[in-house]
Amino acid sequence: MASQSLSIHDTGGLFQIAEPEDRKGRARRPGFGVGIDLGTTHSLVAVAPRGAEPRPLADAEGRALLPSIVSYAGDAAVVGYAAAREQLEHPSRVVSSVKRFMGRGLEDITFSHPYRVVPDPQTPGLLRLDVGPAAPGGAPRLRTPIEVSAEILAVLKRRAEAELGAPVDGAVITVPAYFDDAQRQATRDAGRIAGLKVYRLLAEPTAAALAYGLDRGGEGLFAVYDLGGGTFDISVLRLRAGVFQVIATGGDSALGGDDFDRALAAHLLERAGATAPSDLQREEARLVARAAKEALSERERVTVSLPGVGLRDAVVTRDELDAQIDALVRRTVKACRATLRDAGVRAQELDGVVMVGGSTRVPLVRARVEKLFGRPPLTDIDPDKVVADGAAIQADILSGSAREGVTLLDVVPLSLGLETMGGIVEKVIPRNATIPIRARQVFTNYSEQQTGMTFHVVQGERELAADCRSLARFELKGIPRLPPSMARVEVSFQLDADALLTVTARELMTGVKQSVEVKPTYGLSSDEVDRLVMESLDNAGEDFAARDLAEARVELGRVVLAVRAALQEVGHLEAILPADERAGVEAALAGADAAMHQPDADAAAIRSALGQLERASEPFARRRMERALNAGMEGKSLFEVEDTLAGEAALDERRGGHSPELVDDDPGAPARAEQDVQKDS
Amino acid sequence: MLAVAREPMTETTTPAPEPAPARPLLTVTSSAAKVMRDQLARRGTPQAAIRFGIRGGGCTGYSYLFEFEDSPRANDHVFVKDGVRVVVDPKSMILLKGTEIHFETGIRGHGFRFSNPNVQDSCGCGESIAF
Repeated sequence: MASQSLSIHDTGGLFQIAEPEDRKGRARRPGFGVGIDLGTTHSLVAVAPRGAEPRPLADAEGRALLPSIVSYAGDAAVVGYAAAREQLEHPSRVVSSVKRFMGRGLEDITFSHPYRVVPDPQTPGLLRLDVGPAAPGGAPRLRTPIEVSAEILAVLKRRAEAELGAPVDGAVITVPAYFDDAQRQATRDAGRIAGLKVYRLLAEPTAAALAYGLDRGGEGLFAVYDLGGGTFDISVLRLRAGVFQVIATGGDSALGGDDFDRALAAHLLERAGATAPSDLQREEARLVARAAKEALSERERVTVSLPGVGLRDAVVTRDELDAQIDALVRRTVKACRATLRDAGVRAQELDGVVMVGGSTRVPLVRARVEKLFGRPPLTDIDPDKVVADGAAIQADILSGSAREGVTLLDVVPLSLGLETMGGIVEKVIPRNATIPIRARQVFTNYSEQQTGMTFHVVQGERELAADCRSLARFELKGIPRLPPSMARVEVSFQLDADALLTVTARELMTGVKQSVEVKPTYGLSSDEVDRLVMESLDNAGEDFAARDLAEARVELGRVVLAVRAALQEVGHLEAILPADERAGVEAALAGADAAMHQPDADAAAIRSALGQLERASEPFARRRMERALNAGMEGKSLFEVEDTLAGEAALDERRGGHSPELVDDDPGAPARAEQDVQKDS
Repeated sequence: MLAVAREPMTETTTPAPEPAPARPLLTVTSSAAKVMRDQLARRGTPQAAIRFGIRGGGCTGYSYLFEFEDSPRANDHVFVKDGVRVVVDPKSMILLKGTEIHFETGIRGHGFRFSNPNVQDSCGCGESIAF
């Protein structure tokens, strides 16, 4: 029975009655979340309050799309259509397509643009745009791409607040699936500067899939074909247990609907016999071509005029347009094939294809996509708004609204944790904690040979991983070789209002990281929760004993490894390990091995072997340590020694973060003061 | 391979005898009950309970949970002392069996002290315990 291994040692610590964690009241305001599509050329905001259908919000003139253009021509920044009107006059002070600069450094900017960019004096590796002085003769203003994006977000936020009649609670902002960490962080920062709580960044293709409700099926494979004004993206998504994962992305960052306009414009100028058109004639042709292209999505033929080059009432047919853009559309099809190959997926395996971006209205594009994938693509939702719609649905859920088909939870039904050495579960988020919640814990290596760690995420109340529900496994590679217990891997668990769990493991020295997303509640009925909780109560005694035994084994194994490594290193030196002592250490090691291999050993037997080994090897360990210290200090100045000691102290500080720590749920909170971090123990 | 980052255990103690069978599951001293009642009243919830429990985590494995409880659950063990309810969930009960809750005032300040016959090791802060 368990009681044998539960024995006495009192601590003398004094306790106060605490206020329960989950009564602190994380204010959520259901229905006041917004979805924002922060696009390269256009941005928009949509809402779907309390389970309503998503609805993009328009400005006073009824326009939902906001050109992603910010003008610094005057004193104050101007955003949108008004900024676009100032672009011709002040090309270097009116910033468009700022998304291309987000999270980028000077060396990343290989495309042409009309701006003066300088290294960011405050953040190495990032850049700023020189948008000129506020008034003639004034000092030049240097704006980060983040600040420019924040101007756009602030306009959308005000638009949403006018519509909702109350402050926005938070936002889901979409980003391209291929955005790296720096680009994502820059987008988060822009949201924060605009005064938005960023619930989550959402991949654009995932948002589009959510807008169509494709997640309701639970499992599936989907492609998202996104042809915008200037860029083409193709993504392959896998839906597993209700969570979308982008498995491959591809495309062409210099191909879009604008190229269709230019191709048709060139054709019209040729028909008019304009062999050397002026810039003005070219611009006129481009605008007419765009209008013709849009009209040809509905009709077979249109009549156009180019007064600037003397073309009057010319008929343009859809076939004529198709002939001009055929090569461009082929390029997108080629990129799709390459991306399917990358994903290891055949076109016929897909369960659906989603169309995103205004240029997917062109009938030739739809026809080619249908042919490639062998099924008609999903086009019911306005392709300009589908990404914002999906973001709005997510934002509504994350604001705390209950939506059809979404299990919304207030508290964690079953503890979430990780399997550690010996098959023991380390609970990171406890049962009944309030959602949303973030917790982190530091784990370490077991041996010096170890350069990777496998993380097994489990759910349940039992003490051994084998008795819990397995949720996910992933591996973190590239851990530096360090003595046992010296590596530091921080694992954070983030559980959002929609029950999406993101587990991220990060090695603190090198910064390498890996993460996984799962829905712990997927396929979990309340009956099963009850059963698992009851089981943990029924088995509590045996479980604690099993955990105790596993922990004792792990501890003994660790000490055996350490002693063996020390023997290997300095065991041959008589001054450090005299022969008679050596015999004692060897005997204790043999005893430890015997205890380890004893199948029915109890924790007390293991601990006794551990005690013997520690006592036998203590003088040896002490002499080895002294030798290392002496060698380390020889020939070093006092300053160097102090420096080393300070480093050790800093390391100790980092090692302090042992126990799970509940973290404030706003990762972007400006001041990271102590009161934001609630220690769990 | 994954190991929990925790300090090596330095204290080794000899196992103590089994608690005497007659010992109650949980004992709350009168002075402890009085402080609990005062604090519940000051919180404005004289009818609420005090939750006493064990949770995973802490640098040597488990730590005590000691907080106000506004809505005890059906399967909790309930102990009443001088009108104050202390509730313990069934799983924690196994590790708290025989514990006495005292209230102490002294040079280390004042607070509750738990004499838990099941505890084997403790970390420096006294909040984490091992069994």
